[in-house]
Amino acid sequence: MKNINLRYKKNISKAFLYIGLLVLVVIWSIPILNIFLTSIKSKADYFSGMGLFELPDKIHWQNYIDAWQIGRLGMYMKNGFFVAIIKVPLGIFIEAMAAFALTRLPIKKKTLIFLYFLLGMMLPAQLALIPITIAYSKLHLINTYFGLFYAYVGFGTGFGIMVLRGFFKTIPSELDDAAKIDGCSRFQILFRIILPIAKPAISTLFIMDFLGTWNEYVLASAIINDNKMKTVPTGLMNFVGENFTDTSLLSAGAFISIIPVLIVFLIFQKNFVEGLSGAVKG
Amino acid sequence: MGKKWNKISNYFFLLPAFLIYTSVVIGPSLYTIYLSFFKWNGVKPKVLVGLKNYINLFSKDKLFWLSLKNNLIWVVLTLVIIMALALAFALLFNREFKGRAFFRSYFYFPYTLSSILVAITWKKMYDPSIGILNESLRALSLGDFTSTYTANPNIALYCIFVAATWQGIGQPMILFLTGLQTVPKEIVEAAKIDGAGPISSFFLITIPMMKETFFIVIATLIISSMKVYDIVLGITGGGPANSTHTLATYMRAQSFLYTHYGIGAAIAVVMFLIMLLIIVPYIYFLARTD
Repeated sequence: MKNINLRYKKNISKAFLYIGLLVLVVIWSIPILNIFLTSIKSKADYFSGMGLFELPDKIHWQNYIDAWQIGRLGMYMKNGFFVAIIKVPLGIFIEAMAAFALTRLPIKKKTLIFLYFLLGMMLPAQLALIPITIAYSKLHLINTYFGLFYAYVGFGTGFGIMVLRGFFKTIPSELDDAAKIDGCSRFQILFRIILPIAKPAISTLFIMDFLGTWNEYVLASAIINDNKMKTVPTGLMNFVGENFTDTSLLSAGAFISIIPVLIVFLIFQKNFVEGLSGAVKG
Repeated sequence: MGKKWNKISNYFFLLPAFLIYTSVVIGPSLYTIYLSFFKWNGVKPKVLVGLKNYINLFSKDKLFWLSLKNNLIWVVLTLVIIMALALAFALLFNREFKGRAFFRSYFYFPYTLSSILVAITWKKMYDPSIGILNESLRALSLGDFTSTYTANPNIALYCIFVAATWQGIGQPMILFLTGLQTVPKEIVEAAKIDGAGPISSFFLITIPMMKETFFIVIATLIISSMKVYDIVLGITGGGPANSTHTLATYMRAQSFLYTHYGIGAAIAVVMFLIMLLIIVPYIYFLARTD
Protein backbone atom coordinates (compact mmCIF):
# COMPACT_ATOMS: atom_id res chain seq x y z
CA MET A 1 0.00 0.00 0.00
CA LYS A 2 2.71 2.38 1.06
CA ASN A 3 4.71 1.45 -2.00
CA ILE A 4 1.91 2.33 -4.38
CA ASN A 5 1.44 5.62 -2.61
CA LEU A 6 5.09 6.43 -2.98
CA ARG A 7 5.13 5.63 -6.67
CA TYR A 8 2.01 7.72 -7.13
CA LYS A 9 3.71 10.61 -5.39
CA LYS A 10 6.78 10.21 -7.57
CA ASN A 11 4.72 10.28 -10.75
CA ILE A 12 2.98 13.45 -9.67
CA SER A 13 6.25 15.19 -8.93
CA LYS A 14 7.56 14.04 -12.33
CA ALA A 15 4.49 15.47 -14.02
CA PHE A 16 5.03 18.79 -12.28
CA LEU A 17 8.67 18.75 -13.31
CA TYR A 18 7.84 18.30 -16.99
CA ILE A 19 5.02 20.84 -16.95
CA GLY A 20 7.30 23.37 -15.27
CA LEU A 21 10.09 22.69 -17.75
CA LEU A 22 7.72 22.93 -20.68
CA VAL A 23 6.52 26.35 -19.49
CA LEU A 24 10.12 27.51 -19.22
CA VAL A 25 10.94 26.12 -22.67
CA VAL A 26 8.07 28.12 -24.13
CA ILE A 27 9.10 31.30 -22.29
CA TRP A 28 12.71 30.91 -23.44
CA SER A 29 11.58 30.44 -27.05
CA ILE A 30 9.56 33.69 -27.21
CA PRO A 31 12.36 35.97 -28.49
CA ILE A 32 13.11 33.60 -31.36
CA LEU A 33 9.43 33.06 -32.11
CA ASN A 34 8.94 36.81 -32.13
CA ILE A 35 11.58 37.52 -34.75
CA PHE A 36 10.39 34.59 -36.84
CA LEU A 37 6.80 35.88 -36.86
CA THR A 38 8.09 39.33 -37.77
CA SER A 39 10.41 38.10 -40.48
CA ILE A 40 7.80 36.38 -42.66
CA LYS A 41 5.74 39.50 -43.33
CA SER A 42 6.32 42.17 -45.93
CA LYS A 43 6.54 45.88 -45.23
CA ALA A 44 3.10 46.27 -46.79
CA ASP A 45 1.64 43.83 -44.28
CA TYR A 46 2.75 46.13 -41.48
CA PHE A 47 1.42 49.24 -43.13
CA SER A 48 -1.95 47.55 -43.44
CA GLY A 49 -1.88 47.19 -39.65
CA MET A 50 -1.48 43.43 -39.47
CA GLY A 51 -0.90 42.17 -35.92
CA LEU A 52 2.07 40.05 -34.93
CA PHE A 53 0.02 36.87 -34.53
CA GLU A 54 -1.78 37.13 -37.87
CA LEU A 55 -0.23 35.22 -40.71
CA PRO A 56 0.04 36.99 -44.07
CA ASP A 57 -1.65 35.46 -47.11
CA LYS A 58 1.71 34.87 -48.63
CA ILE A 59 4.76 34.13 -46.50
CA HIS A 60 7.37 36.70 -47.44
CA TRP A 61 10.51 34.54 -47.72
CA GLN A 62 12.02 37.30 -49.86
CA ASN A 63 13.14 38.97 -46.58
CA TYR A 64 15.59 36.15 -46.03
CA ILE A 65 17.03 36.42 -49.51
CA ASP A 66 17.30 40.20 -49.14
CA ALA A 67 18.98 39.97 -45.73
CA TRP A 68 21.48 37.50 -47.14
CA GLN A 69 22.27 39.48 -50.29
CA ILE A 70 21.34 43.15 -49.92
CA GLY A 71 21.93 43.08 -46.16
CA ARG A 72 25.26 41.33 -46.88
CA LEU A 73 24.79 38.78 -44.10
CA GLY A 74 26.22 36.10 -46.35
CA MET A 75 29.37 38.14 -46.71
CA TYR A 76 29.62 38.90 -42.98
CA MET A 77 29.37 35.19 -42.25
CA LYS A 78 32.01 34.34 -44.80
CA ASN A 79 34.31 36.95 -43.23
CA GLY A 80 33.54 35.72 -39.72
CA PHE A 81 34.32 32.16 -40.73
CA PHE A 82 37.57 33.20 -42.38
CA VAL A 83 38.68 35.20 -39.33
CA ALA A 84 37.84 32.45 -36.85
CA ILE A 85 39.24 29.55 -38.87
CA ILE A 86 42.63 31.27 -39.08
CA LYS A 87 42.75 32.95 -35.69
CA VAL A 88 41.74 29.93 -33.62
CA PRO A 89 44.40 27.38 -34.73
CA LEU A 90 47.03 30.12 -34.74
CA GLY A 91 46.09 31.13 -31.20
CA ILE A 92 46.02 27.54 -29.97
CA PHE A 93 49.45 26.88 -31.51
CA ILE A 94 50.95 29.86 -29.68
CA GLU A 95 49.12 29.07 -26.44
CA ALA A 96 50.15 25.40 -26.60
CA MET A 97 53.81 26.34 -26.91
CA ALA A 98 53.52 28.63 -23.90
CA ALA A 99 51.57 26.09 -21.86
CA PHE A 100 54.16 23.46 -22.78
CA ALA A 101 56.96 25.69 -21.51
CA LEU A 102 55.03 26.45 -18.33
CA THR A 103 54.38 22.81 -17.50
CA ARG A 104 57.33 20.83 -18.87
CA LEU A 105 60.41 22.97 -19.47
CA PRO A 106 62.84 24.13 -16.76
CA ILE A 107 61.90 27.79 -16.56
CA LYS A 108 62.18 30.22 -13.69
CA LYS A 109 59.21 32.02 -12.11
CA LYS A 110 56.62 29.80 -13.80
CA THR A 111 53.78 30.79 -11.50
CA LEU A 112 54.49 34.46 -11.89
CA ILE A 113 54.51 34.17 -15.68
CA PHE A 114 51.25 32.24 -15.55
CA LEU A 115 49.65 34.93 -13.36
CA TYR A 116 50.84 37.56 -15.81
CA PHE A 117 48.97 35.81 -18.62
CA LEU A 118 45.89 35.19 -16.45
CA LEU A 119 45.51 38.91 -15.88
CA GLY A 120 44.70 39.37 -19.57
CA MET A 121 41.72 37.05 -19.28
CA MET A 122 40.03 39.53 -16.97
CA LEU A 123 41.13 42.93 -18.21
CA PRO A 124 38.36 44.77 -20.01
CA ALA A 125 39.21 45.35 -23.67
CA GLN A 126 38.15 48.96 -23.08
CA LEU A 127 41.26 49.51 -20.99
CA ALA A 128 43.47 48.90 -24.04
CA LEU A 129 41.14 50.28 -26.67
CA ILE A 130 42.30 53.89 -27.10
CA PRO A 131 46.02 53.06 -27.51
CA ILE A 132 45.20 50.15 -29.82
CA THR A 133 43.10 52.39 -32.05
CA ILE A 134 45.78 55.08 -32.14
CA ALA A 135 48.69 52.68 -32.71
CA TYR A 136 46.76 50.75 -35.34
CA SER A 137 45.94 53.85 -37.33
CA LYS A 138 49.57 54.94 -37.19
CA LEU A 139 50.78 51.51 -38.30
CA HIS A 140 48.07 51.28 -40.99
CA LEU A 141 46.56 48.23 -39.34
CA ILE A 142 43.00 49.57 -39.29
CA ASN A 143 40.93 47.50 -41.73
CA THR A 144 43.44 44.69 -41.91
CA TYR A 145 42.71 41.15 -40.81
CA PHE A 146 46.30 40.92 -39.62
CA GLY A 147 45.52 43.65 -37.09
CA LEU A 148 42.40 41.82 -36.00
CA PHE A 149 44.22 38.46 -35.65
CA TYR A 150 46.96 40.10 -33.67
CA ALA A 151 44.57 41.66 -31.15
CA TYR A 152 42.48 38.48 -30.92
CA VAL A 153 45.49 36.27 -30.31
CA GLY A 154 46.76 38.71 -27.65
CA PHE A 155 43.46 38.84 -25.79
CA GLY A 156 43.00 35.05 -26.10
CA THR A 157 46.31 33.96 -24.58
CA GLY A 158 45.13 34.10 -20.94
CA PHE A 159 42.19 31.76 -21.33
CA GLY A 160 43.94 29.46 -23.80
CA ILE A 161 47.06 29.05 -21.67
CA MET A 162 44.94 28.41 -18.59
CA VAL A 163 42.95 25.65 -20.28
CA LEU A 164 45.92 23.96 -21.95
CA ARG A 165 48.20 24.26 -18.96
CA GLY A 166 45.53 22.67 -16.77
CA PHE A 167 45.33 19.72 -19.14
CA PHE A 168 49.06 19.37 -19.86
CA LYS A 169 49.70 19.06 -16.15
CA THR A 170 47.66 15.87 -15.99
CA ILE A 171 49.90 14.18 -18.58
CA PRO A 172 52.56 12.10 -16.76
CA SER A 173 56.11 13.37 -17.22
CA GLU A 174 57.40 9.79 -17.69
CA LEU A 175 56.17 10.08 -21.26
CA ASP A 176 58.53 13.00 -21.90
CA ASP A 177 61.43 11.18 -20.31
CA ALA A 178 60.89 8.14 -22.49
CA ALA A 179 60.67 10.32 -25.59
CA LYS A 180 63.82 12.17 -24.61
CA ILE A 181 65.71 8.87 -24.34
CA ASP A 182 64.44 8.04 -27.83
CA GLY A 183 66.06 11.26 -28.99
CA CYS A 184 62.97 13.45 -29.44
CA SER A 185 63.48 17.21 -29.43
CA ARG A 186 61.26 19.52 -27.39
CA PHE A 187 59.19 20.35 -30.45
CA GLN A 188 58.73 16.69 -31.23
CA ILE A 189 57.63 15.99 -27.66
CA LEU A 190 55.07 18.78 -27.90
CA PHE A 191 53.71 17.77 -31.30
CA ARG A 192 54.00 14.00 -31.25
CA ILE A 193 53.17 13.27 -27.62
CA ILE A 194 51.54 16.10 -25.71
CA LEU A 195 49.20 17.54 -28.33
CA PRO A 196 47.73 14.18 -29.43
CA ILE A 197 47.00 13.30 -25.81
CA ALA A 198 45.50 16.74 -25.18
CA LYS A 199 43.02 16.36 -28.04
CA PRO A 200 39.89 16.61 -25.82
CA ALA A 201 41.10 19.86 -24.23
CA ILE A 202 42.14 21.25 -27.60
CA SER A 203 38.85 20.45 -29.29
CA THR A 204 36.91 22.12 -26.47
CA LEU A 205 39.15 25.15 -26.60
CA PHE A 206 38.87 25.21 -30.39
CA ILE A 207 35.12 25.25 -30.44
CA MET A 208 34.76 27.77 -27.60
CA ASP A 209 37.36 30.05 -29.11
CA PHE A 210 35.74 29.72 -32.52
CA LEU A 211 32.39 30.93 -31.23
CA GLY A 212 34.06 33.57 -29.07
CA THR A 213 35.84 34.93 -32.14
CA TRP A 214 32.69 34.69 -34.25
CA ASN A 215 30.79 36.72 -31.63
CA GLU A 216 33.46 39.28 -30.71
CA TYR A 217 32.35 42.89 -31.02
CA VAL A 218 34.44 45.40 -29.04
CA LEU A 219 37.78 44.91 -30.82
CA ALA A 220 36.22 44.22 -34.22
CA SER A 221 34.26 47.47 -34.08
CA ALA A 222 37.44 49.41 -33.31
CA ILE A 223 39.68 47.74 -35.89
CA ILE A 224 37.40 47.03 -38.87
CA ASN A 225 35.16 49.72 -40.28
CA ASP A 226 35.21 48.71 -43.94
CA ASN A 227 31.82 47.10 -44.60
CA LYS A 228 33.32 44.54 -46.95
CA MET A 229 35.54 43.19 -44.16
CA LYS A 230 33.13 43.13 -41.22
CA THR A 231 32.33 39.99 -39.25
CA VAL A 232 28.83 39.07 -38.07
CA PRO A 233 28.34 41.22 -34.91
CA THR A 234 29.77 44.40 -36.44
CA GLY A 235 27.98 43.60 -39.69
CA LEU A 236 24.71 43.17 -37.82
CA MET A 237 25.12 46.59 -36.20
CA ASN A 238 25.68 47.98 -39.66
CA PHE A 239 22.66 46.14 -40.95
CA VAL A 240 20.58 47.69 -38.14
CA GLY A 241 21.86 51.14 -39.03
CA GLU A 242 21.00 50.73 -42.71
CA ASN A 243 17.58 49.12 -42.29
CA PHE A 244 16.29 50.38 -38.97
CA THR A 245 12.87 51.09 -40.44
CA ASP A 246 12.53 47.70 -42.08
CA THR A 247 11.54 45.54 -39.14
CA SER A 248 10.87 42.39 -41.09
CA LEU A 249 14.18 42.49 -42.92
CA LEU A 250 16.03 43.03 -39.63
CA SER A 251 14.23 40.11 -38.06
CA ALA A 252 15.05 37.88 -40.99
CA GLY A 253 18.71 38.90 -40.64
CA ALA A 254 18.70 38.14 -36.92
CA PHE A 255 17.01 34.80 -37.54
CA ILE A 256 19.55 33.82 -40.20
CA SER A 257 22.42 34.72 -37.86
CA ILE A 258 21.17 32.28 -35.25
CA ILE A 259 21.26 29.29 -37.62
CA PRO A 260 25.04 28.69 -38.04
CA VAL A 261 25.59 29.06 -34.29
CA LEU A 262 22.76 26.62 -33.63
CA ILE A 263 24.27 24.07 -36.03
CA VAL A 264 27.72 24.35 -34.44
CA PHE A 265 26.15 24.09 -31.01
CA LEU A 266 24.12 21.00 -31.90
CA ILE A 267 27.18 19.22 -33.27
CA PHE A 268 29.56 20.17 -30.47
CA GLN A 269 27.27 20.69 -27.48
CA LYS A 270 29.20 18.16 -25.40
CA ASN A 271 32.24 20.43 -25.65
CA PHE A 272 30.32 23.29 -24.10
CA VAL A 273 28.27 21.54 -21.53
CA GLU A 274 30.93 19.14 -20.32
CA GLY A 275 34.17 20.77 -21.38
CA LEU A 276 33.74 24.11 -19.70
CA SER A 277 34.07 22.85 -16.14
CA GLY A 278 37.62 21.64 -16.57
CA ALA A 279 38.48 24.77 -18.47
CA VAL A 280 37.45 27.25 -15.83
CA LYS A 281 38.88 25.36 -12.92
CA GLY A 282 42.22 25.09 -14.69
CA MET B 1 74.80 23.57 -29.29
CA GLY B 2 75.78 24.22 -25.71
CA LYS B 3 73.88 23.71 -22.53
CA LYS B 4 73.45 27.40 -22.03
CA TRP B 5 71.76 27.77 -25.39
CA ASN B 6 69.41 24.94 -24.45
CA LYS B 7 68.47 26.74 -21.27
CA ILE B 8 67.76 30.02 -23.00
CA SER B 9 65.90 28.42 -25.87
CA ASN B 10 63.35 27.04 -23.40
CA TYR B 11 62.05 30.58 -23.16
CA PHE B 12 61.52 30.72 -26.92
CA PHE B 13 58.42 28.61 -26.42
CA LEU B 14 56.95 31.42 -24.34
CA LEU B 15 58.12 34.19 -26.61
CA PRO B 16 55.32 34.47 -29.23
CA ALA B 17 52.56 34.46 -26.62
CA PHE B 18 54.50 36.84 -24.39
CA LEU B 19 55.30 39.35 -27.13
CA ILE B 20 51.85 39.47 -28.67
CA TYR B 21 50.07 39.58 -25.33
CA THR B 22 52.36 42.24 -23.90
CA SER B 23 52.22 44.44 -26.97
CA VAL B 24 48.47 44.40 -27.49
CA VAL B 25 47.04 43.92 -23.99
CA ILE B 26 49.44 44.98 -21.24
CA GLY B 27 51.30 47.74 -23.10
CA PRO B 28 48.16 49.55 -24.28
CA SER B 29 46.53 49.12 -20.86
CA LEU B 30 49.50 50.79 -19.19
CA TYR B 31 49.44 53.53 -21.81
CA THR B 32 45.76 54.14 -21.04
CA ILE B 33 46.68 54.72 -17.39
CA TYR B 34 49.30 57.22 -18.59
CA LEU B 35 46.81 58.91 -20.93
CA SER B 36 44.30 59.36 -18.13
CA PHE B 37 46.52 62.11 -16.68
CA PHE B 38 46.34 64.16 -19.88
CA LYS B 39 43.89 66.27 -21.75
CA TRP B 40 43.99 65.14 -25.35
CA ASN B 41 41.74 65.11 -28.39
CA GLY B 42 44.04 62.99 -30.53
CA VAL B 43 45.10 65.90 -32.75
CA LYS B 44 46.60 68.66 -30.62
CA PRO B 45 49.55 67.91 -28.33
CA LYS B 46 48.73 66.24 -25.01
CA VAL B 47 48.44 68.55 -22.00
CA LEU B 48 49.35 67.14 -18.61
CA VAL B 49 46.49 67.80 -16.22
CA GLY B 50 47.37 65.47 -13.37
CA LEU B 51 44.35 64.05 -11.59
CA LYS B 52 41.96 66.58 -13.09
CA ASN B 53 40.17 64.05 -15.32
CA TYR B 54 39.42 61.92 -12.28
CA ILE B 55 38.44 64.87 -10.11
CA ASN B 56 36.08 66.17 -12.79
CA LEU B 57 34.50 62.76 -13.26
CA PHE B 58 33.81 62.32 -9.57
CA SER B 59 32.90 65.91 -8.69
CA LYS B 60 31.06 67.24 -11.75
CA ASP B 61 30.09 64.51 -14.15
CA LYS B 62 26.54 63.33 -13.45
CA LEU B 63 26.60 60.95 -16.39
CA PHE B 64 29.68 59.25 -14.99
CA TRP B 65 27.93 58.72 -11.67
CA LEU B 66 24.87 57.39 -13.46
CA SER B 67 27.02 54.95 -15.47
CA LEU B 68 28.75 53.81 -12.32
CA LYS B 69 25.40 53.38 -10.57
CA ASN B 70 24.00 51.44 -13.53
CA ASN B 71 27.05 49.19 -13.50
CA LEU B 72 26.64 48.50 -9.79
CA ILE B 73 22.91 47.86 -10.22
CA TRP B 74 23.87 45.45 -12.98
CA VAL B 75 26.32 43.62 -10.71
CA VAL B 76 23.75 43.28 -7.93
CA LEU B 77 20.97 42.14 -10.27
CA THR B 78 23.32 39.61 -11.84
CA LEU B 79 24.41 38.21 -8.50
CA VAL B 80 20.84 37.97 -7.24
CA ILE B 81 18.77 37.01 -10.26
CA ILE B 82 21.09 35.32 -12.74
CA MET B 83 22.94 33.43 -10.05
CA ALA B 84 19.73 32.27 -8.33
CA LEU B 85 18.19 31.13 -11.61
CA ALA B 86 21.39 29.39 -12.67
CA LEU B 87 21.55 27.57 -9.35
CA ALA B 88 17.88 26.58 -9.57
CA PHE B 89 18.39 25.21 -13.08
CA ALA B 90 21.54 23.38 -11.99
CA LEU B 91 19.73 21.73 -9.05
CA LEU B 92 16.98 20.71 -11.42
CA PHE B 93 19.34 19.22 -13.97
CA ASN B 94 21.36 17.47 -11.30
CA ARG B 95 18.40 15.07 -10.92
CA GLU B 96 18.03 12.08 -13.18
CA PHE B 97 15.14 12.31 -15.59
CA LYS B 98 14.46 11.66 -19.23
CA GLY B 99 15.40 14.49 -21.56
CA ARG B 100 17.69 16.11 -19.00
CA ALA B 101 20.51 16.61 -21.51
CA PHE B 102 18.13 18.21 -24.00
CA PHE B 103 16.73 20.72 -21.49
CA ARG B 104 20.18 21.53 -20.18
CA SER B 105 21.44 22.32 -23.69
CA TYR B 106 18.26 24.23 -24.50
CA PHE B 107 18.74 26.76 -21.70
CA TYR B 108 22.46 26.95 -22.33
CA PHE B 109 22.09 27.76 -26.02
CA PRO B 110 21.43 31.54 -25.82
CA TYR B 111 24.82 31.87 -24.17
CA THR B 112 26.47 30.88 -27.46
CA LEU B 113 24.84 33.78 -29.36
CA SER B 114 26.60 37.12 -29.70
CA SER B 115 25.30 39.86 -27.41
CA ILE B 116 24.68 42.05 -30.44
CA LEU B 117 22.38 39.41 -31.90
CA VAL B 118 20.61 39.00 -28.55
CA ALA B 119 20.22 42.77 -28.38
CA ILE B 120 18.63 42.95 -31.83
CA THR B 121 16.33 40.06 -31.02
CA TRP B 122 15.16 41.61 -27.76
CA LYS B 123 14.75 45.03 -29.28
CA LYS B 124 12.06 43.43 -31.43
CA MET B 125 10.44 41.98 -28.30
CA TYR B 126 10.19 45.45 -26.80
CA ASP B 127 8.88 47.13 -29.95
CA PRO B 128 5.85 49.06 -28.65
CA SER B 129 3.69 48.54 -31.73
CA ILE B 130 4.55 45.11 -33.09
CA GLY B 131 6.68 43.51 -30.36
CA ILE B 132 5.35 40.29 -28.92
CA LEU B 133 5.04 41.68 -25.38
CA ASN B 134 2.61 44.46 -26.21
CA GLU B 135 0.87 42.41 -28.88
CA SER B 136 0.22 39.64 -26.36
CA LEU B 137 -1.14 42.11 -23.81
CA ARG B 138 -3.49 43.51 -26.46
CA ALA B 139 -4.54 40.04 -27.53
CA LEU B 140 -5.42 39.30 -23.91
CA SER B 141 -7.38 42.61 -23.73
CA LEU B 142 -4.82 43.94 -21.29
CA GLY B 143 -4.01 46.85 -23.58
CA ASP B 144 -3.82 49.24 -20.63
CA PHE B 145 -0.70 47.49 -19.41
CA THR B 146 1.34 47.97 -22.56
CA SER B 147 4.61 49.77 -22.11
CA THR B 148 7.28 51.48 -24.14
CA TYR B 149 9.95 49.35 -22.40
CA THR B 150 13.39 50.42 -23.62
CA ALA B 151 12.06 53.84 -24.64
CA ASN B 152 11.17 54.57 -21.02
CA PRO B 153 14.22 55.90 -19.12
CA ASN B 154 12.87 54.57 -15.81
CA ILE B 155 12.79 50.92 -16.84
CA ALA B 156 15.07 50.69 -19.89
CA LEU B 157 18.05 49.35 -17.95
CA TYR B 158 15.93 46.61 -16.39
CA CYS B 159 14.53 45.66 -19.79
CA ILE B 160 18.10 45.21 -21.06
CA PHE B 161 18.87 43.17 -17.99
CA VAL B 162 15.99 40.79 -18.77
CA ALA B 163 17.57 40.17 -22.18
CA ALA B 164 20.94 39.58 -20.50
CA THR B 165 19.29 37.09 -18.15
CA TRP B 166 17.79 35.17 -21.05
CA GLN B 167 21.26 34.96 -22.55
CA GLY B 168 23.38 34.56 -19.47
CA ILE B 169 21.99 31.66 -17.42
CA GLY B 170 23.96 29.04 -19.34
CA GLN B 171 27.49 29.48 -18.12
CA PRO B 172 26.88 29.82 -14.36
CA MET B 173 24.40 26.94 -14.64
CA ILE B 174 27.09 24.66 -16.07
CA LEU B 175 29.58 25.77 -13.41
CA PHE B 176 27.05 25.01 -10.68
CA LEU B 177 26.23 21.64 -12.25
CA THR B 178 29.90 20.71 -12.22
CA GLY B 179 30.14 21.83 -8.62
CA LEU B 180 27.09 19.81 -7.63
CA GLN B 181 28.65 16.71 -9.13
CA THR B 182 31.61 17.04 -6.78
CA VAL B 183 29.33 16.82 -3.74
CA PRO B 184 29.48 13.12 -2.76
CA LYS B 185 26.03 11.47 -2.89
CA GLU B 186 26.87 9.38 0.18
CA ILE B 187 27.08 12.43 2.41
CA VAL B 188 23.71 13.72 1.26
CA GLU B 189 22.25 10.21 1.72
CA ALA B 190 23.72 9.96 5.19
CA ALA B 191 22.18 13.28 6.15
CA LYS B 192 18.84 12.05 4.88
CA ILE B 193 19.08 9.01 7.14
CA ASP B 194 19.92 11.32 10.03
CA GLY B 195 16.64 13.07 9.32
CA ALA B 196 17.75 16.13 7.39
CA GLY B 197 15.14 17.43 4.97
CA PRO B 198 16.05 18.44 1.44
CA ILE B 199 16.19 22.13 2.34
CA SER B 200 18.38 21.81 5.40
CA SER B 201 20.71 19.38 3.67
CA PHE B 202 21.01 21.82 0.79
CA PHE B 203 22.01 24.68 3.07
CA LEU B 204 24.08 22.68 5.54
CA ILE B 205 25.86 20.29 3.18
CA THR B 206 25.57 21.16 -0.49
CA ILE B 207 26.28 24.88 -0.28
CA PRO B 208 29.28 24.64 2.07
CA MET B 209 30.76 21.89 -0.11
CA MET B 210 30.38 24.08 -3.17
CA LYS B 211 32.26 27.03 -1.70
CA GLU B 212 34.83 27.01 -4.50
CA THR B 213 32.19 26.84 -7.20
CA PHE B 214 30.37 29.80 -5.67
CA PHE B 215 33.59 31.73 -5.60
CA ILE B 216 34.29 31.05 -9.28
CA VAL B 217 30.71 31.87 -10.31
CA ILE B 218 30.59 35.10 -8.30
CA ALA B 219 33.99 36.25 -9.56
CA THR B 220 33.25 35.55 -13.23
CA LEU B 221 29.79 37.14 -12.97
CA ILE B 222 31.13 40.32 -11.36
CA ILE B 223 33.92 40.61 -13.93
CA SER B 224 31.52 40.18 -16.85
CA SER B 225 28.97 42.57 -15.28
CA MET B 226 31.58 45.28 -14.96
CA LYS B 227 32.40 44.82 -18.66
CA VAL B 228 28.77 44.90 -19.87
CA TYR B 229 28.77 46.71 -23.19
CA ASP B 230 27.53 45.02 -26.39
CA ILE B 231 24.02 44.30 -25.21
CA VAL B 232 23.46 47.87 -23.98
CA LEU B 233 24.94 49.30 -27.14
CA GLY B 234 22.75 47.05 -29.28
CA ILE B 235 19.45 47.76 -27.51
CA THR B 236 19.62 51.41 -26.47
CA GLY B 237 23.12 52.69 -27.22
CA GLY B 238 23.07 54.27 -23.76
CA GLY B 239 19.74 56.07 -24.23
CA PRO B 240 16.94 57.03 -23.81
CA ALA B 241 18.13 60.33 -22.31
CA ASN B 242 21.46 58.62 -21.46
CA SER B 243 19.65 56.54 -18.83
CA THR B 244 21.28 53.20 -19.65
CA HIS B 245 24.93 54.13 -19.93
CA THR B 246 27.39 51.81 -18.25
CA LEU B 247 31.04 52.62 -17.65
CA ALA B 248 32.00 50.80 -20.85
CA THR B 249 29.45 52.56 -23.08
CA TYR B 250 30.17 55.93 -21.48
CA MET B 251 33.89 55.34 -21.98
CA ARG B 252 33.18 54.69 -25.66
CA ALA B 253 31.11 57.87 -25.96
CA GLN B 254 33.74 60.04 -24.29
CA SER B 255 36.65 58.55 -26.25
CA PHE B 256 35.29 57.90 -29.70
CA LEU B 257 32.27 60.19 -30.11
CA TYR B 258 33.63 63.30 -28.36
CA THR B 259 37.35 62.36 -28.72
CA HIS B 260 38.03 63.23 -25.07
CA TYR B 261 40.72 60.55 -24.89
CA GLY B 262 41.96 61.57 -21.45
CA ILE B 263 38.51 61.37 -19.91
CA GLY B 264 37.75 58.11 -21.69
CA ALA B 265 41.02 56.68 -20.41
CA ALA B 266 40.18 57.80 -16.86
CA ILE B 267 36.79 56.05 -17.06
CA ALA B 268 38.47 52.84 -18.27
CA VAL B 269 40.93 53.06 -15.38
CA VAL B 270 38.13 53.53 -12.82
CA MET B 271 36.40 50.51 -14.33
CA PHE B 272 39.61 48.53 -14.03
CA LEU B 273 40.26 49.61 -10.42
CA ILE B 274 36.79 48.45 -9.35
CA MET B 275 37.35 45.15 -11.13
CA LEU B 276 40.69 44.77 -9.43
CA LEU B 277 38.86 44.22 -6.14
CA ILE B 278 37.64 40.96 -7.67
CA ILE B 279 40.53 40.16 -9.99
CA VAL B 280 43.19 40.05 -7.29
CA PRO B 281 41.50 37.47 -5.02
CA TYR B 282 40.32 35.53 -8.07
CA ILE B 283 43.79 35.23 -9.59
CA TYR B 284 45.15 34.31 -6.18
CA PHE B 285 42.48 31.62 -5.92
CA LEU B 286 43.17 30.22 -9.41
CA ALA B 287 46.87 30.03 -8.69
CA ARG B 288 46.38 28.43 -5.27
CA THR B 289 43.92 25.71 -6.37
CA ASP B 290 46.54 24.55 -8.83
